[in-house]
Amino acid sequence: MERAGWLFVLPLALVLATGYVWPLFQAGVNSFHLNTPEGIDLGHWTDANYAKLLDPLYQSILERTLRISLIVSAITAVLAYPVAFFIVRLKPKVQPWLILVYVSPWLVNTVVKSFGWSLLLRSNGVINTTLQHLGLIDAPLHLMLNETGVIIALVPGHFMFVLLPLWAAASGLDPNLKWAAGTLGAPPWQIFLRVTLPLTLPSLIAGLVINFTMNMTAFAAPAILGGVRARTVSFLAFQVNLEQLNWPLGGAIAVGLLVFTLAVVWSGQRLAFLAVRSGRTRP
Amino acid sequence: MRAFNAAMIVVMLAPIVLVVWISFTPEAFFRVPLDSFSLRWYREALSYPDFVNAFVLSAKLAALAALMATALSFFAAYGLVRYRLAGRGFLLGFFTSPLVVPAVVFGIAMLQFVNRIGLYNDLTGLLFAHVVVVTPYAIRTLHATLQAVPEEMEWAAMVLGATRLRMLGRVTVPLAARGIVTAFLFCFLLSFSEVTMTIFMTGPALQTLPVRIYNYLTDRIDPTVAAVSSLVVLVSLCLVFLANLAGAFKRLPR
Amino acid sequence: MSLEIEGLEKHFGDVRAVAGVDLAVGHGEFFTLLGPSGCGKTTILRVIAGIYPADRGRVRLGGVDVTEAPIHARNMALVFQNYALFPHLTVFENVAFGLRMRRLAREEIRRRGREALELVRLGTLAERYPDQLSGGQQQRVSLARALVIRPDLLLLDEPLSNLDARLREEMRGEIRELQRRLGVTTVLVTHDIQEAFAMSDRVAVLEAGRILQTGRPAELYLSPASRFVANFVGPTNEVALAAIRTVGDGTLATTSGGLAIKVAARPGTDAGGKAAWLMIRPENLRLFVAEGETDNRYEALVEDVVYLGAATSCRLAIGDLRLMAAVPSTIGARLAPGVRVAVGWSAEDGVIGHDR
Repeated sequence: MERAGWLFVLPLALVLATGYVWPLFQAGVNSFHLNTPEGIDLGHWTDANYAKLLDPLYQSILERTLRISLIVSAITAVLAYPVAFFIVRLKPKVQPWLILVYVSPWLVNTVVKSFGWSLLLRSNGVINTTLQHLGLIDAPLHLMLNETGVIIALVPGHFMFVLLPLWAAASGLDPNLKWAAGTLGAPPWQIFLRVTLPLTLPSLIAGLVINFTMNMTAFAAPAILGGVRARTVSFLAFQVNLEQLNWPLGGAIAVGLLVFTLAVVWSGQRLAFLAVRSGRTRP
Repeated sequence: MRAFNAAMIVVMLAPIVLVVWISFTPEAFFRVPLDSFSLRWYREALSYPDFVNAFVLSAKLAALAALMATALSFFAAYGLVRYRLAGRGFLLGFFTSPLVVPAVVFGIAMLQFVNRIGLYNDLTGLLFAHVVVVTPYAIRTLHATLQAVPEEMEWAAMVLGATRLRMLGRVTVPLAARGIVTAFLFCFLLSFSEVTMTIFMTGPALQTLPVRIYNYLTDRIDPTVAAVSSLVVLVSLCLVFLANLAGAFKRLPR
Repeated sequence: MSLEIEGLEKHFGDVRAVAGVDLAVGHGEFFTLLGPSGCGKTTILRVIAGIYPADRGRVRLGGVDVTEAPIHARNMALVFQNYALFPHLTVFENVAFGLRMRRLAREEIRRRGREALELVRLGTLAERYPDQLSGGQQQRVSLARALVIRPDLLLLDEPLSNLDARLREEMRGEIRELQRRLGVTTVLVTHDIQEAFAMSDRVAVLEAGRILQTGRPAELYLSPASRFVANFVGPTNEVALAAIRTVGDGTLATTSGGLAIKVAARPGTDAGGKAAWLMIRPENLRLFVAEGETDNRYEALVEDVVYLGAATSCRLAIGDLRLMAAVPSTIGARLAPGVRVAVGWSAEDGVIGHDR
């Protein structure tokens, strides 16, 4: 009887094992070997690729990627609360529609989205022409082909990863808690600070973690809107793997990114757990 | 507050709205059409074989990937829900884990993998990769769906003489129909939109629509690409509409 | 602090939850709003607390009009049905919350917090989190949290309905005890008659957003102003009356079956054409009464006897009239279907009510 269960599960498990685990493993293995003009030298194990990642050039790209990702996450965190609480106060029938608006970026591929942003942000794009028309600026703003453009596009692009959990948490908040705090003398800002915020913080953190990792590994937006001046790790990966065909180094980048992502997710979970118990005064 | 939220909504929809709007321009460059609209670029796009082929490829790939992922996930979810397998939790976590792996990492790993086994520029390799990427959504949806199908119904059918397989087809699948369709539609949408991993692991011979658009953007710039993008948006909207019909959004929290 | 409510009205959409309510609670009084679910009692409580704004009417606390005051400025405490303890704070933190909002010194917060917890006998659980407590313990924390701020008004929203029967009785006594000791004006909302009667100085019975009658429990029980109140506070017999006449210093009521019943005179007993009913509590019907022992006496046939432990309920037939009597089982033991028995009651026990 039990065996039938395994039969059901096996096909998917096999597909994932061969199409998911094995390739990742292989890339990892590759990363510990040297790349030579004749192919990957499977004879010797080395950590030279990882050492190469510490190169100042690569490090500056990593730094830039981190900076952009953190800025995007920070902006998102600030914007998510007002949006989430606005939606929560709407009639239940209306709420899903607004959520759909915020989920819409995920339904259209990032290339089309980034293309749309390029139409808005370029020097003769909609924003610049409108502002110049209205006489608010003389020369076009440099909103594209730099970090700014990437940030502007990534914020709405990855917004829903924070909004959805936050909205779910806000919806689940017992209204009695807010009223109880109110009757005990807490004005609205105190209610937010001492009740709403602590209770929704774990969801915010969980969402921010995903948002951050998505920012770090985004490809199309930085590629289209960042230009030469704002290359990120993902584009570096592209160059190394597809232009230089240096797969061991590419594998090292993959492993590095994966480990980084897992580390962020793990620490995010610990942080969320700690945030649940955020009372202060000792009796 | 209202103004702020209205502004946020505008920001969220702006790029898509703009792309669709501009696609109707009669001019040869990107100018928002205000008085005259034209379908010129749509005709251009539909007569451009690269785009048409890419569209067909994306659709085929998405359909196959969604089909495979849904089918495999259905059986896997069934096994997890109905049988007390050791390590059920682990297996479910394993099947959902591709979510945590960044698309870039997938791209690199799959690139190296398909090259090694000689499947570079081959639909099979790409198909497998897409199945892996959309599986988490399929398994999550179907796991929840099958948990909601009462096991008593299955026992009733089997007591009346149906073998498990026949019972699955005649009882379980119809009862889980809404979830199955939802899973399929989501997988289709996700595969159709997948770009990062696909860029990494495909060459010129095997360009899906998003990849084709990407390459076009780096090449030249004319409103054809806006028209193509609008069609992509249209496809997405249709899928969301279909998903809504299938009852996909009824499960959303209050 | 005394509480006054004048002309309160509140609707949600086209639902009139509160349709004109006036009441006055004296300082230190324990007042209950009693009624079935949906009668508006919780809404009134929330308007008093400031959670809902009133559509019309005034709320006065200690003579001061607080109708427009924000929730946090009213110095009232509300104990919720589901306790509403802050899940992310410890028991002590929960209790200290109101004190922190009032920006008291740390030492004082510590002292008063401990005091409050001792008051509800939960001193040892100060460091626990709400999800580690039983329902009864959570309820007591909720009480401590409300009382520690020394509110001018204590509001209780069905605080005992989530507890099991035995705990409920225990807490009833404890809450009443605390209230008496601290002398805090209290308004309780409940649908449980026993709870209302056991704890309150005065009770207001509500239905469909209006107060039907206010008074001490005994008044409501023995002199209900309407059929609804009579039936709500306890089982009662209702006898349809065809005519009412004033006779001497009392009233003579005649049933549609021709039975004549003596009823003590009461204000408002004049029918004036509206359909009238006579209400008699089952426990006021006495069996095996001798001639002249009671004002009213009739020969009845026992139709059904139900043994309920301490009491026995039986159905009696007087001609076409059916009456339920509740007697101690020592007397009930002598009853069986088919037995003829003399049943009687005094003129004071009958109450004439009119359809509204």
